[in-house]
Amino acid sequence: MQPWHRRLFFLRSIGGVSLACAVALAGGCGSGVAEGPGRPTLPGPKTFHHSFEQAPASLDPVQATNIYANHVVVNAYDTLFAYKYLARPYQLKPNLAEDWPEISPDLLTYRIRLKRGVRFQDDPCFPGGRGRELVAEDFVYSLKRQFDPQNRPQGGWFWQGRIVGIDAWKSAGSDYAQDIPGLRALDSHTLEIRLTRPYPQLLDTFAQGYSAVVPHEAVACYGRELGTHPVGSGPFKVVAYDTARVVFERHPGYRQEPVDLAAEGYDPVKQRYTGVERIAGRSPPFVDRLIIDFANDDASRWNSFTKGDEVQLSALPPERAEAVLASLNPVRLQPEYAEKYQAYSGPEAGFVFEVFNFDFPDFGYHPDPARERRNKALRCAIIKAFDWEARNASWYFGLATVFPGVIVPVVPEFDPALSRASVTRDVDGARRLLRDNGWTAANLPVLVYGQSAGVKQRMFYEQFRAELKQIGWPPEKVVLKQFATFGDLSRAWKESRLPIVAKGWGLDYPDAENTLQLFYGPNGSPGSNDANWHNVEFDRLYEQAAVMLPSPERTALYRRMNQLVIDDCVGMTGLARNRIYLWHRNVVAMPDREIVGGFWLKYVDVLPPGQSARPEGLGATG
Amino acid sequence: MDVLQFALRKLLAGVPLLVGVTLLSFTLMVYFGPDKTYELLGKNSTAAQIAEVRHELGYDRPFFVRYAEYLRELATLDFGHSDSTGAKVSTLLARSIPVSLALELPGFVLGNLLGLALALTAAFHRGRWPDKLIMGVAVVGMSVSFLIVIFAFQIWFCTSHGLNWFPVRGWSAAGPLDYLAHIAVPTLATVFVALGYNTRFYRAVIVEEMGRDHVRTARAFGTPPLRLLWRNILKNCAIPIVTRVMFTIPSIVIGGALLIETAFGIPGVGRVTYEAIISGDQPVLKAVVGLTASLFVLTLLVTDILYRAVDPRVSLQ
Repeated sequence: MQPWHRRLFFLRSIGGVSLACAVALAGGCGSGVAEGPGRPTLPGPKTFHHSFEQAPASLDPVQATNIYANHVVVNAYDTLFAYKYLARPYQLKPNLAEDWPEISPDLLTYRIRLKRGVRFQDDPCFPGGRGRELVAEDFVYSLKRQFDPQNRPQGGWFWQGRIVGIDAWKSAGSDYAQDIPGLRALDSHTLEIRLTRPYPQLLDTFAQGYSAVVPHEAVACYGRELGTHPVGSGPFKVVAYDTARVVFERHPGYRQEPVDLAAEGYDPVKQRYTGVERIAGRSPPFVDRLIIDFANDDASRWNSFTKGDEVQLSALPPERAEAVLASLNPVRLQPEYAEKYQAYSGPEAGFVFEVFNFDFPDFGYHPDPARERRNKALRCAIIKAFDWEARNASWYFGLATVFPGVIVPVVPEFDPALSRASVTRDVDGARRLLRDNGWTAANLPVLVYGQSAGVKQRMFYEQFRAELKQIGWPPEKVVLKQFATFGDLSRAWKESRLPIVAKGWGLDYPDAENTLQLFYGPNGSPGSNDANWHNVEFDRLYEQAAVMLPSPERTALYRRMNQLVIDDCVGMTGLARNRIYLWHRNVVAMPDREIVGGFWLKYVDVLPPGQSARPEGLGATG
Repeated sequence: MDVLQFALRKLLAGVPLLVGVTLLSFTLMVYFGPDKTYELLGKNSTAAQIAEVRHELGYDRPFFVRYAEYLRELATLDFGHSDSTGAKVSTLLARSIPVSLALELPGFVLGNLLGLALALTAAFHRGRWPDKLIMGVAVVGMSVSFLIVIFAFQIWFCTSHGLNWFPVRGWSAAGPLDYLAHIAVPTLATVFVALGYNTRFYRAVIVEEMGRDHVRTARAFGTPPLRLLWRNILKNCAIPIVTRVMFTIPSIVIGGALLIETAFGIPGVGRVTYEAIISGDQPVLKAVVGLTASLFVLTLLVTDILYRAVDPRVSLQ
């Protein structure tokens, strides 16, 4: 019986309120945790109750575009590769793949063997309702779906122009009966992929929800409703999904693969407090039921988390930080919270940044070379005026990592020794730059700052405007343009209608190429190069590095490209947020929230209430 | 027979209303609503992919072809699939509307019944302390933000900082006990806020009625208070009361309760509608707008018939 049921019975016993009378009439009914209309009854002894701040739009792998969708998809479906549970920086490992692929010396052909005996979850879409074995042809079919416009796919750009024949297959009408020369199942458990040019990130793309393996029977059976009815071979089966939550149950046929902590990248010094040693040698998943609440509202999520018997893991809402944290760096909880919760703080696999749009002659490219030089001075002055530390303190607990350039701290190519001049505020320097280049309050251009509608977004703008005011930019020349929805804002970016683009980027794979491509000339609007920056040297280096395997030489190229972005004052960049997670003491987990990190949920274990996952002798805090 | 003819006439008269509402809302959706294309694009899209998505969404078809399609969907109640989740819109609404109804109905009924009772008490003691007390509390209920009421009640009734009697989030109607546990606090919050508005409205109606000649005459004849209340006051107040109650129903059925559903993690139609508006999910929006308009037409019809039932002087002609 749930605690609130007990309390209702208590109410009945004292008979003080009408509600209790009603409960008395209903006594004996409705035992156990059950779901509402259309939901199945969900008994189960071991449940992990997680929370997200947003609901995924669709659970179809072809639309696993954000962290919310990706988290659900990689737990309901399987991917060929996955990221290790505990290794940071992130490291890839074979998942559905039996081992690492055989790669031809020219790096153009990959042969991948799949594990045998992997079965799809039982579902009415299969004959007899019993999930069949997953075979190589299923992966071929699933990747083809990314090139069928009817599916409204969002991940095709990873393989477009890279797998031999895949674009021609799409142009010919996406006929699934037709083969793609570069994407073949050699036998039931062997895949061969042929590339048009080397693609070092290929295996990373096969760890994404986009490449998750879907059985064709499910697509035939559910059609577009596959987006609400996943049928995969992952550790969990989705049994209910609506705007408020998704409920999974353990996939009983999930393959037995005991956890090898060392192979998962376990660091006893940093991670022992989580109690993950308890899962060593056992096969995930460890919980019978996984619930993810979509709690858009921080207050509601926090109330549910602190209640004790509902949400068990939550990000710390910024407004609670003062009450909950005893220290920020390192993150320590106040004693009353440390008694009940574990905490973790880590950098995001991504960053936030703001770039100038070079399509705008007031800030970017200009037919007059002299004006273009003055524009560069203008951009550099704005960058000097921008106060990253203030933004960090105001919005990210002061815990975020402010770094120069676009190579984020979680990738191996990050250069901690890079000069921080581009992220250090220099009001005098900014004023001097403006003055020396003939910019005055009278001739400074109007700067339109586009954001989606929201209080926080408005405050970002006000902070930015105040910073510019300090270098002599008239406040009335910094104009806010708010868009009703993110889709509208996204449209303005893709149509190159805003002079400044402020956005966040989550890494699709832990390789600096993923953020450097944001500045590659051919990726200009409507592509991901919102700056519409075209630098001949950058583009040449990008093309050179894009076909290289990880190596010191490639890292050097990446860092040179990074410097070019900084030197040309392309934008204010960047800041990697550090999120703080809290979870109940009886939960054994090392949480993650990144696109590359959704695989952690199958490793979560839950101890009986009152027990602590934290090993003895580590103390209560920290 | 009169009623049937009247109903048919009213339904026919509702057709232009439906066409007007759907045409206006569809025009707003198409030309001023969010463009779903840009939410369905991948991170690194091309102009060709934008065109593909627009084609898949049907945005490249002529306006009136799309509008005619909308009318066909409304007539057949087949609105296709959500552009966001891919779920059948009819399934989505069939799942979420009953949840919103089950969530809101108790608060709606209690809010109106209690409001009426308090209004009567206040009106009967007009100008004296019970009236002032009730109206004072009503004004407080109206003045406090609904959001604050929701979270104050949630903290007080659902968390360890308060009584911790009820769940914070989630939904279940598997049994009466579960159902009560999940609707108790949302209902209390709804009633607390609605009570103020209802009480003030009903009191104004009742006070006005109490000042009329027929009530004074009945009093002079020594009619007992309860009979006076029922026969001379409430019956004559029925038309504004029926109007108020009836016209709230469509928004309860289709509109849902966004704030309550969000705060308590309840998968009702309010959340579905909100998500559709924000993301520009036109199939869902078309269904919600079309069904709301249809329900209003039906409500108008039923309200007119009820007028006749509560006041025989009203003509169905």
